Amino acid sequence: MEKYIQPFVDVCQNVFRDFIGSELITERPYFVDKNDPHDWDVSAVIGLTGEARGAVVISMKETLALKLTGKLTGSTHTSLDDEVVDAIGEIINIIAGNAKRGLEESFRLVISLPTIIRGKGHTIMWPNEQARIICIPFKIFDNETFCLSVAIDASSGA
Amino acid sequence: MSTKTVLVVDDSRIMRNIVKNTFTSMNIPCEFVEAGNGKEALLQLEKQTVHLVLLDWNMPELSGLEFLKKIRAMDKYKALPVIMVTSEAARYNVIEALKNGATDYIIKPVNEKNFREKLSKITI
Repeated sequence: MEKYIQPFVDVCQNVFRDFIGSELITERPYFVDKNDPHDWDVSAVIGLTGEARGAVVISMKETLALKLTGKLTGSTHTSLDDEVVDAIGEIINIIAGNAKRGLEESFRLVISLPTIIRGKGHTIMWPNEQARIICIPFKIFDNETFCLSVAIDASSGA
Repeated sequence: MSTKTVLVVDDSRIMRNIVKNTFTSMNIPCEFVEAGNGKEALLQLEKQTVHLVLLDWNMPELSGLEFLKKIRAMDKYKALPVIMVTSEAARYNVIEALKNGATDYIIKPVNEKNFREKLSKITI
């Protein structure tokens, strides 16, 4: 499982540098349980199918989602509106699509369209009971954080 | 240079704007028409003469790849330049798109350098 994580770390750093124009600090990844409580306001989910199954999820507080959207649109956002949903969905889409390149020697993946979940304490329905979920925490803009969660089960692909 | 019509196909409005802004920064005289998926893109092609398509892959209704297959099956669009602009970065995706008639392939996030390189090879 851990060997599948590094492509996501590398891609996330590159995407935020090239797309958002900000450097990330990667913190130590850790396993989470799907029922663990969390403090995030919004998550964007992309399902992974093909020769493996799983999902990749980016979760963050509303303040960060608004800042990231502002970076992409050049305008100010004050709530989780459609443009914020669009921005966060596109960020996870680019991360997942680019990570496929780093994983292609292990398996071929098909990525879904992004789904956005909003609300305090929202629940993510992880598509696979077998795969363990690894949360990779990142720091951005000095004091903001977000989490990229990845679960891949290579034994359950098509 | 006469003004060209560029069809930007992406389900993300933010991404369509970024693609348009990047393209505009190259000072190529063009006007843009937009579509949020492959179905809308087919309608746009029927409405006007399009000289270049910038095409995302993953979209609802009709994906970029399915759109590409459909237009390449039509004689009038066989030579239309279509550049995939997508996050699908795996080599097998690039090969699949090129096999199905993509003129070139740009991996998101886009930048001016990528566009310049790709467009320098294409006559629109």
